[in-house]
Order: sequence, then structure tokens, then C-alpha cells
Amino acid sequence: MKKWKTLLALFLVYFIVAVPFRVMGVIPGFTDVRPVALLGPIYAVFFGVPGCWVMAVGNLVMDAVGGSLRWSSIPGFAANFLGPYLIYWLCVRRAKKPFSLRTGRELLKHCWIILLSAALQTVLITPAVAWIYPEVDAGFFALIVMLNDTAFPIVFGIPIMILLQEELGFRPLTKEKEMIV
Amino acid sequence: MNYLQANLCLLCVTFCWSTEVVIFACIPDAVSPFAVTSITFLVGGALLFLAFGRRIATGLRADRKKQLLRCLWISVINAGYNTLYQFGLADFDVSTGAFTLSLTVVTMPFILLLMRSRVGWRTWLSSGIVLAGILFAMVGVMSRAQLPGLSIIAIGCVMRAYYIIKLNQYAREHDPVVLSALICVSGGVVSYFFWMAVQPNTFMGIPWSPVVIATLAIYSFFVVALAITLNVFAQRRATPANATIIYSTEIVFSVILGAVLPSSLIDPVHLTPFLVVGVVCVVVGNLIEILDPGKMRNKGEEAVT
Repeated sequence: MKKWKTLLALFLVYFIVAVPFRVMGVIPGFTDVRPVALLGPIYAVFFGVPGCWVMAVGNLVMDAVGGSLRWSSIPGFAANFLGPYLIYWLCVRRAKKPFSLRTGRELLKHCWIILLSAALQTVLITPAVAWIYPEVDAGFFALIVMLNDTAFPIVFGIPIMILLQEELGFRPLTKEKEMIV
Repeated sequence: MNYLQANLCLLCVTFCWSTEVVIFACIPDAVSPFAVTSITFLVGGALLFLAFGRRIATGLRADRKKQLLRCLWISVINAGYNTLYQFGLADFDVSTGAFTLSLTVVTMPFILLLMRSRVGWRTWLSSGIVLAGILFAMVGVMSRAQLPGLSIIAIGCVMRAYYIIKLNQYAREHDPVVLSALICVSGGVVSYFFWMAVQPNTFMGIPWSPVVIATLAIYSFFVVALAITLNVFAQRRATPANATIIYSTEIVFSVILGAVLPSSLIDPVHLTPFLVVGVVCVVVGNLIEILDPGKMRNKGEEAVT
């Protein structure tokens, strides 16, 4: 598939997952439930840097369209790029073996990487939000970001990655084979 | 996909199903459950055709009639047991109702025996422990008046066990993507007839709003397209008994969701010692089935190949 077609498909999938959750407040009082976070590790491992850009730009577009484009969207943009980039860096650039989720040890390692990525995103966004909007409960906000970026990538992301890699013929990137835009 | 991965996928499928109650809470009562099933299955099928159109077209070239008939057959069974569940569950509250649905775990080994399939001691043990969990959870809350409802649910569970066995067989014989897409489409069509029976003006009878559309979209992606596809692929590696026991964790997820989420979304679950022991039994029964050292060794061998 041509690179621009791949990018288009990645954006399409991003919005198909993100838009309904923006329209529907799934849990009243917990408005920021973002299952779209499940795509972060998938895009990072299978599509590399372009996938990370899709996560960042997609989030920014959703903020703009949803009427929540504020100063905090800048650290949000950075976090949504750097979180998946960290996964890409650890699973592709720094990995000694090709990416796989076949054994318990590999699954645990991937969960740790997701936790690290979520922690990075939380550390990047929370101080900025707390500084720009002092009325926001920073602890609660950090908890929501952390939960979004760990629960969805682990509960839904891992089975989807297994399906893509083992059954649908998607190949995770390796140091040698990378998609360059 | 190896044994461990298949079990993880089945757990994910079960979790998707357990979130149904949360998603349903966002749909107005005026929308019939048959309408939800029909629309979401058709949308889910359309998504799969969109993503894998060429593969599905290729897969349908061989044995088209056989595949279509088989999918229609299991969709009829699916609609049948879901309808029985709806009638049976009217006699129970949410948490007890969820436990009764797990009777499939108990009926499965017997149906397998009737179909002359071998059932391992591990499966018997797991089923026994899950049954003990169901009985514990229902102690003190079950009354004689609920026996008709329980009987209807038990018949539904027998049908569901048969459905899982057939799905497992078909998943091994056909392309899982084709099978998933056809299950979605045939399930949508079968439910449409039920929908027409209870609400003749069908689509016009739905109070369309952005929230209803978003809710149906989420249901179509996660509970239908994703869950059915993952389920069919995982069924190729799992046994019917194995899959049924993992499905029983739906109770665990339901109890957790009921205890954690606000009462505006889901009927709150009051954790009693009996309920907790019931949930623990279900988890233990699952661990015994999932952590099979023999199959885990095979998993390691598969990982090498």
C-alpha cells in the first residue's frame, strides 16, 4: 500500500474510534474516557514514526473539532506523539529481538513498556494542565490520563496486536525495515 | 496465535461482552434490543467487508452455499438462546442473572459427551468449581418462584453450548474473517425479523440522536466487529470447553463493573460474602483450565516455530 494511503487509513481508523466516544459521554462525571489510546502501541509498533504523528495530530484535530482546543493542547500534542514514540523506540529501535507477544515474559515486558509510555504522557500533560488551569484537580487528572493510557492499550490493544501479527499478516517494524515518510 | 494468546483474546471478547450493559444504558428504552442487535451486527458486518472485502470475496468462492447456510444456522441458534435469556432473566436481578447464564459451563461437558467428544478431567474439575461458584452466589437469593425462569435459562444455556461447539468446528474449517463477516450479516438479518415482529415501523421507531448513533457505532466496533473476529480466530486454537469456561469470567467483569460504576449506568451490585466466594470460584475454575501445563508446553514449542 502506498505511504499516503497508509496514513489516510491510520487517520480514518483513529477517527472511527475517537469520534463516537467524544459524542457519547460514556460515564457521566468521567467525560474523558479515551479508548482511542489503544491505538498508540499498535501504530507505534506496526507503523513507526508516522503512526506516532497520527496519534498526535488526530488528538489535536479532535480537540479542535470538539471545541476543546486550549493552551493545554500543546503539551497534549507533545505527549500524544512522545508516548507512542517511546513504545516505538523501545520495541523497534532498541529491541534486541523482533517484536512478539507469544510468551508470558514478552507480554509482561510489553505491559511495562505501556506503563512507561503512560507515565511519560501523564508527566508531560499534568503539570501543564495544573499550571494553566489551577482549578483542575491535578491528581485526579493524572489518574485519568494514566488509566486511559494503560487500561485500553493493555485490555484491547494487546489482543488486537496479537490478531494483526499472528493472523492478519501485519509485520511489526524492525530496525532494518521502517516506514519513512 | 498460540494457546496463551487465544486465551487472552477470549478474555478480551468476554470483557467486550460484559461492557454491553454500560453501552445499553446509553440507549433509550424505546429502542428494542432486537433493533440494537440488527443494526450493530449489520454495521459490524459492513466494517468487516470494508476492511477485508477482497479476502472475503476470495473465501466465498469455495463452498459459498455451505458457509452461508452454516452461518445462518448458528445465527438462528444465537438469536434463539438470546431470546430465551431475555425471558428467563426477567425473573432475576442483574448479578444473580449473570450467574445463571454461566450454567453453559455446566451443560457444555455433557453436550460434548452426547456428541461423543472427549472431555478432559481438567474441564470436569473447572466446570465443577464454576458450578459451585454459581450455587454459592445464588444461595439465599433464589426462590421457588424463580424456577420457571431458571428452567428457561437452562434451555438457553444448552443451546449456547451447542452454538459454541458448532462455532468452534466452523472456525477450524473456514476462513475466520469470512466466517466473522457472515455471522455479523446473518445475525443482523435474523434479528431484523424479530425486530419487525416487535416494532413494525423498525428504523422509523428509533428516536435518532447523536448519542444513539454514537452508542450504536461503539457497540458495532467493539462488541460486534472486534469481539466476533477475535472470538472466531481464538476458537481455532481453543477447545469449546476451554472457551466456555473463559466466557464465564463475564460474571467477574459484571460484578466489578457493578461495584465500581455509578448506579445511573448499571444496577449496583451489593457484594455479599456468598457473591465474593462465587466470583472466586469462577476465577479458580478458569485458572485451572487456562493454566494447563501440557498446553503451555505446546505454546512454548509453537513460539519456537
